[in-house]
Amino acid sequence: MVVVEIPIGPQHPALHEPIMLKVRAEGEEVVEVSVNTGYNHRGVEKLLEKNSWVRGMYIADRVCGICNAVHMQTYVQGVEKLMDIEPPPRANYIRTLVMELERIHSHMLVVAVMAEVIGFDTLFMMIMRDRERVMYLKELVTGNRVHADIHMLGGVKRDIDEAKRDKILKELGVIEERIKHYKKVFETDYTIVKRLSEAGIIKRSEALRLSIVGPTLRASGIKSDVRSDDPYAAYPEVPFNVISRDEGDSWARMMVRLEEALESVNMVRYIVEKIPQGPAIPKAIPRAAKPGEVISRVEAPRGELLYHIISIGGANPYRVKIRTPSFLNILNTEKVYIGHRLADVPVIFVSYDPCISCTERVVVIDEKNGKKTYMSMRDLAKVRVE
Amino acid sequence: MEINVGRFVFKEVSPRRYVASVALSELREAVGAVVMEDSYFSALTAVDLPKDGKIELDYVFWSIKHRVALIIKVTVDRNNAVVPTVIDIVPGALGGELEAYDLMGVTFEGNNRLRRGFLAPEDMVEKGIYPLRKDSGV
Amino acid sequence: MRLAIFGEVLANLFRKPVTLKYPVAREVRVAPGFRGKHYADLMKCIGCSLCAVDCPANAIAMDKLPQPLKHNQRGIFPVVDYGKCVYCYQCVFVCPVKAYIVTEVFEMADYTTGTSRDLSLSTVKGGGSV
Repeated sequence: MVVVEIPIGPQHPALHEPIMLKVRAEGEEVVEVSVNTGYNHRGVEKLLEKNSWVRGMYIADRVCGICNAVHMQTYVQGVEKLMDIEPPPRANYIRTLVMELERIHSHMLVVAVMAEVIGFDTLFMMIMRDRERVMYLKELVTGNRVHADIHMLGGVKRDIDEAKRDKILKELGVIEERIKHYKKVFETDYTIVKRLSEAGIIKRSEALRLSIVGPTLRASGIKSDVRSDDPYAAYPEVPFNVISRDEGDSWARMMVRLEEALESVNMVRYIVEKIPQGPAIPKAIPRAAKPGEVISRVEAPRGELLYHIISIGGANPYRVKIRTPSFLNILNTEKVYIGHRLADVPVIFVSYDPCISCTERVVVIDEKNGKKTYMSMRDLAKVRVE
Repeated sequence: MEINVGRFVFKEVSPRRYVASVALSELREAVGAVVMEDSYFSALTAVDLPKDGKIELDYVFWSIKHRVALIIKVTVDRNNAVVPTVIDIVPGALGGELEAYDLMGVTFEGNNRLRRGFLAPEDMVEKGIYPLRKDSGV
Repeated sequence: MRLAIFGEVLANLFRKPVTLKYPVAREVRVAPGFRGKHYADLMKCIGCSLCAVDCPANAIAMDKLPQPLKHNQRGIFPVVDYGKCVYCYQCVFVCPVKAYIVTEVFEMADYTTGTSRDLSLSTVKGGGSV
């Protein structure tokens, strides 16, 4: 039979962000897939070298829209180690609260996107409606639905009070009930089970060599979670279970995410009830770091996020390397598609929870203000606004 | 504290981070030994050190058996940055090597999937600039 | 064959739609503490320019005061360009005298919302247009 090359992307209704999957198919069966990236490249790593530590927090926050609090947490955690500061316990609890809220809404998003990709539009709309409750809670705690911006070097920027705590507890009850309902839908609905099972099986023996991370790894039977292996923020004190499954197919990946969302609901409840008293907002912002290097790792909703920060002293970092989970999950799993039908390709791709803005954020490209932005006080006074 | 992996000694630099510096010729052996410790490849960082005339490569692995991060450091000359590839031992290192080639200009011999334009946009590729180098002018 | 969400679909037939017909209906529920339009109160600002130094979007420029103010030796005040601002509120946080006034206004997608210059100048007695 003839081998036909079919490009899926960069613009395609099945994908949510620009990426090209060059699929070579023989009839209906996929023979080879190669992943082409480069459509969303923004030059974040070089930008971080040119801006100060404080500005870098906001640049790191805007690498990804869905997982922004974890990016900021990884950056701030690493820089705090370089500056030898320890945030107060209450600040750690508030940071963990925002990160877990983000995990819930991110998992609901990918479950909704999977429902949409297989054609189940009603379920997509319903999950998005319930996800709005989580976004409202994020807005209550941080001030914005999407970008949390709550971290600060040495603590957090805002605190929560009694009224907010009661509101969070009340909404959590509704959210938990809805997620349990969606979990039941994914377990029992005939179409979903038939379409998702046996699609894109990654066996336990090859999962480690392929370097997949996050729920994709845990759905292949390996219990590896940064929150329990390499704890940070308030995770040493908040109890939770590491969820894993043995099947290794797309259905298992979705089920792991739904069960993790339920675990996160319990964690948020624990945090809100047991948060310690004390200060959370730092008084002074440190500006310079000592020379050294630090590797900070955090469990983003999609997997393990790693920042390698190198400093030679001074107000700017020397080198910041960001390795996002989607970078590993998408690029290393090209062989998994082989042997499946063409209609399974979007299903498998979405089950990795792809976040293309996270995949391509390396280096330079800021032609507009490539010059240094440091000006003395006198120069600042001279700048006029038109 | 130290961890012995094969014949390499990893020293602790901070909680759960162990580092070993190896020579370029021992790189593949070190990577093979680390993979035996039930670990997965996590990241490949390329650092440009123009003052020493070198580029430093840090291979970060996470070992599930020991629950620590094992970091292998190699340095290579900046003007002749050629490193043996490890994607036959660890297929997961493909993205890291592609990125280091496209943005820092480190060639991995044995990797036939290297290409410019993986991440860098077209005008960088046309001018032949490696954007992450300190003297690239971007 | 089990259609698991059948019961919910049936119930939704009799419920009010959740769609909010914005901008015809404008009761948008924004949580208290939302980060909206902000501007500097010139009766408190001392002109230290920390907000302009820290802004990650380079959205704050310092402009000359139209009249001398005793507590502002440098004679400059910050002007926020709402087009460039990302509403991270680093400026609000870093200000040593907490001179920023914050609001929950978010409807700024028009041609008239330029910068915070007029809003800031309106906080000075006798200020306004220069």
